Amino acid sequence: MEDRDQKVITFHSQYAAFLFKKKYGGECSLKPVPRQLSSSCGTAAFVSGDVDSSLLGEGVEALYEKDGEGWRMIWKR
Amino acid sequence: MELKEKPRLLITGAVIGVASVILTVLGNPQNMGFCIACFIRDIAGSVHLHSAHIVQYMRPEIIGIIAGSFAISLITGDFHPRAGSSPVLRFIIGFFVMVGALVFLGCPLRMILRLGVGDLNALVGLLGFAAGIGTGCIFLSNGFTLGRSSDETRIEGAAFPGAAIFLFILFLAVPSLFSFSESGPGSMHAPVVAALAAGLIAGMLAERSRLCMAGGIRDLILIRDYTLILGFIAIFAASLIGNIITGSFSVGFADQPVAHDKHLWNFLGMMLTGLGSVMLGGCPLRQLVMAGEGSGDSAAAVLGMLFGAAAAHNFSLAASAGTGPALNGKVAVITGLVILIAIASIVTVKERRKYERG
Repeated sequence: MEDRDQKVITFHSQYAAFLFKKKYGGECSLKPVPRQLSSSCGTAAFVSGDVDSSLLGEGVEALYEKDGEGWRMIWKR
Repeated sequence: MELKEKPRLLITGAVIGVASVILTVLGNPQNMGFCIACFIRDIAGSVHLHSAHIVQYMRPEIIGIIAGSFAISLITGDFHPRAGSSPVLRFIIGFFVMVGALVFLGCPLRMILRLGVGDLNALVGLLGFAAGIGTGCIFLSNGFTLGRSSDETRIEGAAFPGAAIFLFILFLAVPSLFSFSESGPGSMHAPVVAALAAGLIAGMLAERSRLCMAGGIRDLILIRDYTLILGFIAIFAASLIGNIITGSFSVGFADQPVAHDKHLWNFLGMMLTGLGSVMLGGCPLRQLVMAGEGSGDSAAAVLGMLFGAAAAHNFSLAASAGTGPALNGKVAVITGLVILIAIASIVTVKERRKYERG
């Protein structure tokens, strides 16, 4: 995990992850969902900046913020 | 301290690779330390769903994987009973994943184990598997999804692993209820305790690491991430080293155990399995593990595989070792590819419309 990965967004589908990355604009990398968050092997978006609520649309599952070594949920559909 | 993801995958892959070699030494068929497709097929025969006399046995490895995943997920809090994500479509996809695997003669896990013993037919299968995953990725990146699942009760989540454990207890208590091969691959097996222990360990490790034969190639194609494929590589490396040590390593296409060299059908069979696995969100091994974690959707896929295995032998779809698939098997693979691509296309178009409507 890199230092710039301060927030992680999980999705209900791969397509939703791609759409999010396209719309986000800033530095955003797609990686497997952190094991601490889920035993599923979907794709998550890792970002460093703020996430506008307009981006949390169809297909977005949850938004987490870095909390020490783990993640803290700050939004869930 | 909790292991990081990559070392965990490497350890899981290495343990499964070594366990496969040990199971083969202890009596499992050659290159078949673990094979999810073959073992589900043997179970289908054992419970009289098909009557192919050479492939009938209640494989403890399968029960062990489900029970291992169930136990560890209960302990660690990963047990999340969920269902409702297109269960009937998953059953149908699972059916064709199995048909493809039985035309190739092995699931993606056995494909790697076959590579580790030098069977080059598995390399053709790997190319087909990657082509199937690549095809699935086109649909995934354009909107394909089988839909969201919903939370279920704990009793619903425990029902499938509970049924698998019950079946195994029945096998131990009243073996006369089941069919057992007296010759052929079904008659070759490691001692029950060793096979069950190997399955339990594999199930626990695969649950913790999320090991998936299809997910690694999918992530490499879609997001250029190589985390999941490390497990795949570790299985190959461990199996290769183990087979060299035990003297089983032999490179070539011809005369490989429980295999055939019909390249087109090795390729297309595994293409069907790869496409179906991506649509299901995981390979056959991963479906067993997720069913153990309480996923009713994965349980539907496993039941589809069980039904597919029975159909593969009742309707002569499965390939024969040495000679390859007969006409029925070839028609089934093509039909499967057409049906899965049709399902993927219809779902993708429908999902895209949903997003466009906002």
